[in-house]
Formats: sequence, C-alpha cells, structure tokens
Amino acid sequence: MSREIVVEQLHKSYGDFTAVNGVSFDVKEGEIFGFLGPNGAGKSTVVKILTTLALPSSGKATVGGYDIVSHADDVRTISGVALQEIGLDPMMKSLELLTIQAQMFGMNRKQARERGEELLRLVKLSEFTDRLVGKYSGGMRRRLDLALALVHEPEILFLDEPTTGLDPASRRDIWAEVYRLNRELGMTIFLTTQYLEEADELADRIAIIDGGKIVAEGTPQSLKASLGGESINVTLRDDAAVQQAKAQVGDMVEKMQVDRNTLRLYLPNAANAVPAVVTRLQAAHLELVSLTLTQPTLDDVFLQVTGQRYSADPAAQPDMA
Amino acid sequence: MTAMSNTRALTVAAGAKTNRIKRMPLPLQITTMAWRSLRVTFRTPAAVIPSLIISVFFLAVYQASLGNASSFLPGLAGKSYIGFILPVSIISAALSSSGVAGSSIVRDIENGYFDKLSLTPISRAALVLGPMMAGAVIVVLQTLLVSTVGILMGLRPETGVAGLLVMIGYALVLGMAFAGLTVGVALRTGNAGAVQGASFLFFPLSFLTATFVPFDLLSGWIKVAATYNPITYVLDAMRGLMLTGWEADVLLRGLTSCLALAVFTYTFAILSLRARTRRK
Repeated sequence: MSREIVVEQLHKSYGDFTAVNGVSFDVKEGEIFGFLGPNGAGKSTVVKILTTLALPSSGKATVGGYDIVSHADDVRTISGVALQEIGLDPMMKSLELLTIQAQMFGMNRKQARERGEELLRLVKLSEFTDRLVGKYSGGMRRRLDLALALVHEPEILFLDEPTTGLDPASRRDIWAEVYRLNRELGMTIFLTTQYLEEADELADRIAIIDGGKIVAEGTPQSLKASLGGESINVTLRDDAAVQQAKAQVGDMVEKMQVDRNTLRLYLPNAANAVPAVVTRLQAAHLELVSLTLTQPTLDDVFLQVTGQRYSADPAAQPDMA
Repeated sequence: MTAMSNTRALTVAAGAKTNRIKRMPLPLQITTMAWRSLRVTFRTPAAVIPSLIISVFFLAVYQASLGNASSFLPGLAGKSYIGFILPVSIISAALSSSGVAGSSIVRDIENGYFDKLSLTPISRAALVLGPMMAGAVIVVLQTLLVSTVGILMGLRPETGVAGLLVMIGYALVLGMAFAGLTVGVALRTGNAGAVQGASFLFFPLSFLTATFVPFDLLSGWIKVAATYNPITYVLDAMRGLMLTGWEADVLLRGLTSCLALAVFTYTFAILSLRARTRRK
C-alpha cells in the first residue's frame, strides 16, 4: 500500500512555545488513521500544517505525494477538511455555502448546485436550505461542515475532532458516516480525537501525541498487546484461598498480583487460558466467587508511554491545559 | 522522495480521479467572492445603509453651506459649485464605506469561514480582491446615489452621461484602493477596531487636498501636501468631467493616481495574507 501522508521531523513553534516537536509518521492509502492526544498536545497544529493552513517551522510533509509547502494548491485539491472550529458563515444558507465551495473546486454553477443538493440529502439537511446557518443546531452545523469537506470527493479527508461536543447519538452518526466513506469510497481518513474509545473504535492505526511528540504508534490491538497487560482476575473467599490459588497457577502466568481477595493473573492470550486456570483451581477444591477478564485499554497504553493517566477533560488536569 | 512525488503527480494528472485539475478562472473567482461578500453584507442592512445615506448628507451640507462660493471663488466663476463639490462627496462616501470590506474579512476570520475558503484551491489573489471588489461596488452605488441627487439639485455635467459613467469608473478604482487598506489591516490584525482605525487614515488623504477650493487657491504646507496626495489628481479628473470637459492629460493623471493607490493597497493586502499564513 502506498503512503498517502508522509511526515518527517515536523516542528512548529510560536515564539518560545513549541507546539509540535519533531513529529514523524506515515498514513497509508485507504486507512483510517487516528491521531490521538489530550487537549493542547499539538493535534490541531499538525492538522493545520498538513492542510496548508499553517506553515511548519521546520521539517517536511507530503500529502498524496505533494509537498505541503511547495505544492499547497495540489494538496488543497485532493484534501477535504473539517476543522474543529466549524468554519461556517452564519449569515449564509447551506446551499450557498456548498455551491461556492464546489465552484472553487472547479465545478460550474449548475454542477455545483446539483452537487450541493445531493450532499444536503446525504447529511439530511434538505429541509433546511432556506434557513441561515446561524440558526442551525450544533449537530446540524457539524453535518453541513462534513458535507462541505466532501464536495469534491476528496482523496483524503481530514477530520479534526469531528465529535467533540456532540451527544452520543450524533457521535454514532458521524462514526457510521466515517466508516462508510472509508469502506465504500476508499477514502483515506486522518482523524484527530481526544477520545480514546473513538480512536479504538474507528481507527485502523493510531498515533498518540503528547506534549508535541509522538509517544506511540501502531494498530490499537498491537499497542494494547504490547503492554502484555491482559489479565484474568479471580476472586476467592479469603486470603488463605488466594495463597493456595497462587501456588496452583503460578507456573502458568508471567506475573501475579494480589488485590485483597482478588488474584490478578497476567498472561498473554488470557481469554484462551481461562479453562485451564479454572480446571486447576477446581482440582484444588477452591471455590471461585467471580472471574473476570481484563484487556488493557488505550488508557493503559497512554499511562505506560507518558507516565500519567489520560484525561480528555482539561479541568481534571489543570497542568496540561 | 522526489521520484515518488513525481510518480504520484503523474497518476493524478493522468485523470485517475475526476475534476482534479480543473480550476475556476480567476476573474470568476473574484466576482463569485465579491458577490458572496455583497450578499452577506446586505443581509445586515444596518452595515451599509448609513454609509449610503451619509454620502447624500455630505453633498447636501456642502452645497447648502458653500453653494454660493462659485460667485466669489476665483477659478470657479460661472461654474456650478455642485459640480465642484460632487467629487468630494464621492470621496467622502468611499471613505465612509472603506471599512466594510475589512470588516467582512474580520467577520470571516472570526467565524472561521476565511479558513474554510483558504482550504480550497481558490487563488490567494481572489481571497483579497473579492472583498475589495465588493467594497468598490458599494462605492459605485453611493456614487450613483449622489450623482442622482446632484442632478436633481441642478447638476449638468459638461461631459454628459458618458462623463458620469467615467466618473463612476474612477469611483470604482478608488473604492478598491480604499478597501485594500482595510482588507490588509483586517488580515494582519483580525481586529474590528483596527479596521475602523485604519479607515481614519483616509481622512488626511481626503482633506489634505483641494477639497473645498480650487488647487490654485491653496498655499503653504497644505499646498505641498496636496501636490503629493494622489487624491488631488483624482478630484481634478472628476471635476474636469463635471465642469470643463474631456481633458486627456487630467483624466490620465487621475487614472494613474487611483490605479497606483489601488496597486499599493492590494500589495499591502496580499503581503498581509502571506504574513497571516506564516504566523499561524
């Protein structure tokens, strides 16, 4: 698969503040790439640079093979962009916005209007064409913004925090649409998000950025697996039972941890080891109070690579804001 | 790296995907942007109506207070003062509406639509010239309005309807020139107050010239200022059309002056746009 986006040693500083500090990664053609990080980690800055809105301080990047600085116009032609700050003029109507957008991508007025009407049907806004965009709800504006990004059937779609501030139902709608664009139309999608579960759910591959640096990159599965953090958690009656159990299964696991009456057994491929563990414990006549299976989350990955818990809520971590 | 880019560029150019290379022609981009800008501006009538009215107000006041001046001002003997003062009202009008273009850019920057447009392959020149053109159209509307009122007040231009049309042409170029400054300031600062401030810069330009009396009656520092003020020559050209007739050299000097001013402010605006991208 060819590389749709190539980023090499990208830096961006504003005065003394370094927003992006030597970032390198690739996005392959046809994948959904999740760019994950807490507020202020540098995600939006990278998106602004890759979409030609901002210039890098140093480093280089290509999108669709085009250099983002020397061939900015070509990059703009093949990219569709929906930024975090929805850029809609509240004094315009949806069809006007779509028509102008389509014209700027080379369609004549009639084609542009038709394309606009088609997209309004797609995002279910056809009934609201005569209303000023300023009167739209947040969810409607997001949908219109997505429609604008799709006007020219872009090869690459940049979505900067497309679900921030949306209710769960609208969020699901956006996820479904992102999937459809990727699977049905083969669009490469570069998606930034501050939600771990969103990256986990949608992305084929992710990169985690923190403090302007990439701290982890890979498929969500491989990142989680690399922690070796899968565990079987067995709760027993009392401490004596826990000690007995430890002796029984000690040879099967990589690591054990006791947490009151619960014994955590860390081992690769934990799900498949459950029957064997249960058999051993039953053979020793140990009664199980409960048994659960824990898989590491991206949160654990984040903790591992940065040394702190992930928080999408800036209020919870004032030092990061 | 370069080899890979080239291969890619070739496949794209070969039409692997539709509609890739087509671009809207530049003049069409500019008019589309200008049209959009005007439509949005007129959706808030309060933003334009006052400046339309104020131009008529200037004309009425100048005429009422100075209307008899032609009887004692040397050089104006036998000529209509309204023909002499009408160009001043046009320049005052252009001055009062010069902020409209800059303000519309500030609005677009604030609501994010400016970034949205910047993300399309639209020419950077059209991003700047669109609003400048919209500003100029408003000045043309003002000029039409003032001229109509002027005619109702007894103005009979020496050069007739053709002369009026040429005068409107000057107003158009001047409108673009004035708008260019506020567009540039808007791009540089993104601040509505700064745009208003910038439009005041045109006050000296409009009054350090032969505003109320013929150039020959000026003396001292104001005469020096007027000599170097491009507006002086634009006023001359417009007044010539109204009062004297077709004078090629005067018209040409006027045209050169307002074109030069327009090129100057356009350059400032384009450089401001570039500075904005570098800063982001």
